[in-house]
Amino acid sequence: MAIKRISRSYKDISLSFEPHPVTKDLGVIKNANAIVRSVRNIVETIPTERPFNSVLGSNVRDSLFDFVDFGTASDIQDQIIVAIENFEPRVDNVVVEVEPSSDENAFEVTVIFDIIGQEFPTQEYTFLLEATR
Amino acid sequence: MPFTKFANLDFDQLRTSIKDYLRANSDFTDFDFEGSNFSILIDTLAYNSYITAFNSNMIVNESFLDSATLRENVVALARNIGYVPRSRTAAKGQVSFDINLGSVDPQTSTVTLMKGLVCTGNSSNTSYTYSVPNDISTSVIKNSDDDYIASFNNVDIHEGTFLSKTFNVDTSLNQKFILDNSYVDTSTISVFISGPSETGLGLEYSLVDNILNVNSTSEIYLLQEIQDEKYELFFGDGLIGKKLENGTKITVFYIVTDGKEGNGASSFSFAGSIQKGSSITLLDETVSSTDAVTVVTNQSSQNGTDIEPISSIKYYAPRIYSSQYRAVTSRDYEAIIKKIYPETDSVAVVGGEEMDPPEFGKVSISIKPKNGTYVSEFAKSRILSQLKQYSISGIDQKIEDLKILYVEIDSSVYYNYAQISTIESLKTKVVKSLTEYSDSVDLNKFGGRFKYSKIQQVIDNTDNAITSNITRVRVRRDLKAAINQYAQYKLCFGNQFHVTTKGYNIKSTGFTISGEEDTVYLTDTPNSDAKTGIVSIVKPVSDGTTRVIVSSAGTVNYMKGEVELGTVNITSTVSPNNIIEIQAYPESNDVIGLQNLYLHFSISKSTINMVRDVISSGDEISGIVFSRDYYTSSYSNGDLIRK
Repeated sequence: MAIKRISRSYKDISLSFEPHPVTKDLGVIKNANAIVRSVRNIVETIPTERPFNSVLGSNVRDSLFDFVDFGTASDIQDQIIVAIENFEPRVDNVVVEVEPSSDENAFEVTVIFDIIGQEFPTQEYTFLLEATR
Repeated sequence: MPFTKFANLDFDQLRTSIKDYLRANSDFTDFDFEGSNFSILIDTLAYNSYITAFNSNMIVNESFLDSATLRENVVALARNIGYVPRSRTAAKGQVSFDINLGSVDPQTSTVTLMKGLVCTGNSSNTSYTYSVPNDISTSVIKNSDDDYIASFNNVDIHEGTFLSKTFNVDTSLNQKFILDNSYVDTSTISVFISGPSETGLGLEYSLVDNILNVNSTSEIYLLQEIQDEKYELFFGDGLIGKKLENGTKITVFYIVTDGKEGNGASSFSFAGSIQKGSSITLLDETVSSTDAVTVVTNQSSQNGTDIEPISSIKYYAPRIYSSQYRAVTSRDYEAIIKKIYPETDSVAVVGGEEMDPPEFGKVSISIKPKNGTYVSEFAKSRILSQLKQYSISGIDQKIEDLKILYVEIDSSVYYNYAQISTIESLKTKVVKSLTEYSDSVDLNKFGGRFKYSKIQQVIDNTDNAITSNITRVRVRRDLKAAINQYAQYKLCFGNQFHVTTKGYNIKSTGFTISGEEDTVYLTDTPNSDAKTGIVSIVKPVSDGTTRVIVSSAGTVNYMKGEVELGTVNITSTVSPNNIIEIQAYPESNDVIGLQNLYLHFSISKSTINMVRDVISSGDEISGIVFSRDYYTSSYSNGDLIRK
């Protein structure tokens, strides 16, 4: 388990690489957005994908081809919680809700968390996990 | 880690240094968190740097002969200093056989054994094929049964498959002449060149390994190892060696071999083809089955070796280069003999001026082959004749049989019995660790040195249960007796002997001499100066004393470590193979292999006594029982006979 760290502000680069409309500078994401992006990166990284860090990531992609039901959803939920607790030290009180959506063959994931050391309200972020191949 | 450390090969350290840089120079903060986008970019950059660093490290390593690891690169670097690594060598045997052509006159005076497959043989339950690289003709004679017989005597056969390859020269292309097979025995390669307007195989070109005496019309080719242990042929350019014209046909014959796997086949069955005249295969017409040909083995297959390993190339390439194909110093001999006789394990070369007495203009060479202890007379004459082309004129080389100086130990190993399962298993472990030590670089070679303190350490460190050891060192040489002949013998040990004035410094195994029925032994009586002594032949009698048979049978020089026997007729020996083992105790426990003595640590003839250490195990504390029952002397036992 990673060490919990307290920081004043978070500033990350945007991987879209779209220039800022006014300054034409590189895109920057901050604080809550940066953390949300990080959580999503961790969840969507397949273990062994990162060079020399074979445990980083979660196995949710393995579950995406299983039946879209509450059993699989519960499995995915556990995996996401474990991944966030292991690799994202900036959040606390993590609640993950996974709703199977069998018509779309996807899972709707909602991650609710508090940011440590920042005066932000509880964050909620939703994204869709679907089998892409 | 400072960011200026370029040669870092550790991914984590590369990544840390990038982060350190960003921490000081950037207003981004998230790179410390694994999930961040920045972290992904840093990982990619560090991975890229890591691959680049690794590649440049490999490239630099592979650029030097000392550090290169890939065979292709080692060979290429050795090539730069003119060294062609040894190829695989086919095991060679010698056979004789008769072909019975029947009673009908075959209408020819000679028949030819075609090059290629001759017979098959078995080694280690695997069947191998044996070939000849050239056609062999013999005359047909009529025997007493009125059958026509073609006798092929002393045919040298090479293990492997005989192959041929043809190239057509097209000078408009950048053509390479590569033999497609790995595992070629390059000594069997023969190259024939036929011009554009000629028919047939044409002229045979010869292999050269340097361009001395080569001019623009020399019919030569050069050979080079390339990738995957294959070989490429090079021809002259019109300045050095004759240039090949457009349309020339090159025919190459060679044997692809299994190397040392083919050693040891002793019975062969015929599978060759015999020709009369142009293309009639007589064998099919006149001999009903190949079983009708009985192959007599003159020499079972031997001397097959694998391709020269990388370590050997790295060792010998610079030495061959420094010898410049001239045998001057003893190191030159070592490199050149290894080149012309690949079976060599170790070489000792002694210049005549170092001998006792000096023999100026002579060079004495001793060779320890990889398998066995003696170099055959045939191999000796071959080595000497090939050595002539490298050596200085006026120097007379002589290859001497290996003189082995055996070192034996008589060790009493004390153990704490509370820490062992069985005594036998502990003894086996001691023997095993001694055997491992005997493979070390100090021993089993010319100019080796037996290091007493190292041996004691090896024994002590074998197991925690071993508390100490008392080890006595003996040196031994084997005297090969000329049975039923009057002969004189001289054995040089090259190490000073330990002398006790009452004698029994020299011991031997038993033998018999003419005029005496009982088994007799050698013993010695030191002179008053204790530097030399008299060797006597004695026999033990039943009352425990000895009776002298020949009082002055020879002399011993304790200082030089030499035993000389005057004329004696030995009729039999107790040890097999007409050997009399003669031992002495060296003055120094460290034994050296002087000049051409090959130092061999003989574990099989060494004695390991396991002795209980009653003090360490806590059975007693006063030491009284220990000194009474478990005491071991550090000196010789004073017996007459070598056991």
